[in-house]
Amino acid sequence: MIVTHGLTKHFGKTLAVDDLSFTVTPGAVTGFLGPNGSGKSTTLRMIVGLDHPDGGRATVNGVPYAQLAWPLREVGTLLDAKAFHPGRSGRDHLRYMATTNDVPRARVDEVLDIVGLTEVAGRRSGKYSLGMAQRLGIACALLGDPGILLFDEPVNGLDPEGIRWARHLLRRLAAEGRTVLVSSHLINEMALTAERLVVIGRGKLIAETSVQEFTAQVQGTSVRIVTPTPQRFVSELSRAGARPSVADDGALVVTGMEASEVGELAAAAALTVHELTPLRGSLEDAFMELTSDAVEYRSSPSPGGDRRPRPIPVLSR
Amino acid sequence: MTTAVTIELPAGAGRSTGAGGAGLRQAMRAEWRKFASLRSPKWSLFVTLVATLLVTYLSTNGALHHNRQWYRGFDPTNTALAGLAVGSLVVGVLGVLAMTGEYGSGTIRSSLTATPRRDVFILAKVIDFALLALVIGMVLSFVSFFVGQAVLSGGGAPSATLSDPGVLRALVESGAFLGLLALFGLGIGAIIRHSAGAIGAFVGCTLLSSILLQQVAGNPARFTPDMIYGNSVASVVRVPGALNSSTGFAYMTLYTVAALTIGVVVLSKRDA
Repeated sequence: MIVTHGLTKHFGKTLAVDDLSFTVTPGAVTGFLGPNGSGKSTTLRMIVGLDHPDGGRATVNGVPYAQLAWPLREVGTLLDAKAFHPGRSGRDHLRYMATTNDVPRARVDEVLDIVGLTEVAGRRSGKYSLGMAQRLGIACALLGDPGILLFDEPVNGLDPEGIRWARHLLRRLAAEGRTVLVSSHLINEMALTAERLVVIGRGKLIAETSVQEFTAQVQGTSVRIVTPTPQRFVSELSRAGARPSVADDGALVVTGMEASEVGELAAAAALTVHELTPLRGSLEDAFMELTSDAVEYRSSPSPGGDRRPRPIPVLSR
Repeated sequence: MTTAVTIELPAGAGRSTGAGGAGLRQAMRAEWRKFASLRSPKWSLFVTLVATLLVTYLSTNGALHHNRQWYRGFDPTNTALAGLAVGSLVVGVLGVLAMTGEYGSGTIRSSLTATPRRDVFILAKVIDFALLALVIGMVLSFVSFFVGQAVLSGGGAPSATLSDPGVLRALVESGAFLGLLALFGLGIGAIIRHSAGAIGAFVGCTLLSSILLQQVAGNPARFTPDMIYGNSVASVVRVPGALNSSTGFAYMTLYTVAALTIGVVVLSKRDA
C-alpha cells in the first residue's frame, strides 16, 4: 500500500507537485499517468525519499520510506534506466545492492535470470544497451522480492518483445498480491497493463479511477447523424433532452444518447436518416482532453492547420 | 541478448533472517564491495604508489653529493617523505571521486534507495575510506622512509633511522595525514557533487592555497594543508615559522571534520 497525502514540491518558482493525494492498493497494476513534466517522477522520488517534499507526506506500508527496516525487501524501485556506475558489471551492482539489505547472494543470479541478463551480467554496465539497462533496473527492483514495486517508465528503450515481457511481468507481480505502481505518459500502454489509474497533470490529481471506468467514460457516448432535415432533427432531439451539435461537414453529433435511441426517435418522428454512427473516442483522445489544460510542453500547431478530426468532447467533468 | 520470459518468484526469496535492519554494517560491506568492483580506483592506487616512490627517489637522490654547508639542518626523514605529498593528493582526489562518482553515474539513487538513512550511508563511506586510506598512508609512509634512507646512505649522505627522535612520530602522522586528506576530499565531493568542480576545489584548498598565501604577509600559508604536511607533520627538524607538528595535525583534522560535517548536512538536506 502506498499513500500520498497532500504531497507538494516546488523547484524554484515552478510548482512540480501540487497537493497530491492518492492511494495505491495491492493486487493490481496501477498506472501513474500524466504528460511529460507533469510531476510523475518527482512524486515517485518523493515516495522513496530521494526528494524531500515541501509539504505533505508519502508512506509505504504506513511508514515513511526512510524508516523501513529493510527498504529493498519492502519496496522495489526502478527510477531511471542508468542508475549504475558504467565501470561496474550488472552482477556487481546487484551484489552490492543485495549486501545493503542482507539479501541472499543466490537471489542476485535469480533476478538476473528473471530479466534475462545472465549472459551479460559480467559485462560492464556502461556497455549495456538502453533495453539491457532497463532490464537491469527491473532486476534491481525485484532483488529484495518486495511487496511494493515502483516503476518509472519501465518500457522505455525496450523492444516490442521486451515491452510484452514487461507487461506480463507487471501483471504477474500484481496477481501475486503485490502493490505495483507504473508511471507512463502513454495511455494505450497503460490500458493494456494497468487495472487502476492515477492521472495527474501539472502536478495535480486529475483522476483516480479504474481503466474500465475510464474507458467506459470515453467510448460509445456520442452518435453521428446525417439527415436531409437537420432543423427538424435538432428540435426533436432537443425535445428529448439531448443537446446536439453540428460537425464541420454538416452532420449532427449528439452526446449522451445511444444510437438505438436516436434511431427509435427518428422512426417515431418519421425523419429520414442517411447515416447513424456511434462514435468511439480513443483512449488517447480522452487522455488528451483530460490533460489538455495541464500539458507542460506543447508543440505549436503545424502551419497547415491541424488536420486531425476535431476531438468530440466526450468527458463531462 | 537473451529473452528469458521465465518469471519465477519464489515467495520470500528475498527475505533473510537477519535482525535489525539495513544499517551501518551492511552499508560498510556494500561500500567495500562497490570499491572492489571497479577497476579505476585500483589503478589510481597503483599510480599513487608509483608516484610516491618516484618522487621519494628523486628527492633523496637530489640530496646526494653536496658540500658540508648544504647538509646543515638537513632533514633526511622529510626528504624521504616528499613523495607522500604527491601520493596524498592522488588519494585525496580518489576521495573526491568516491562521492562525485555516485552522482555522475546515477549510482547515488540506487545507493540511497538501498540505504535511505543518509547519515548511515555517508558514515559507511567515511569509515571504509578512512580505514583504506590509513593503511595506504602508513604503508607509503614507511616504505618511502626506508627507500629514501637507503638512497641517502647508499650515496654517502646523512640518513635517519626509525629510532632517531621524532622519526616514528613523523612517519605515523604522515601516514595518518594521507588518511585525513582522503576524507577531506570525500567531504568536498559530498558538498560539490560534480567531479570537475570538486577536484578543482580540492586542489584549490590543498595546493593552490599555499602558493597564493605565501605572497601574503604574516605567513598565513603555514595553516594550509600543503605546508602543514611539508613543514610540520613530515618534519623532524623544526622549520622556522611553521606550526609544530601536533598543532598542524590538529588543524588538518579540523578542516577534515568541517568538510565532512558540511558534506553530511548538505547530503541530508538536498534532493538526491
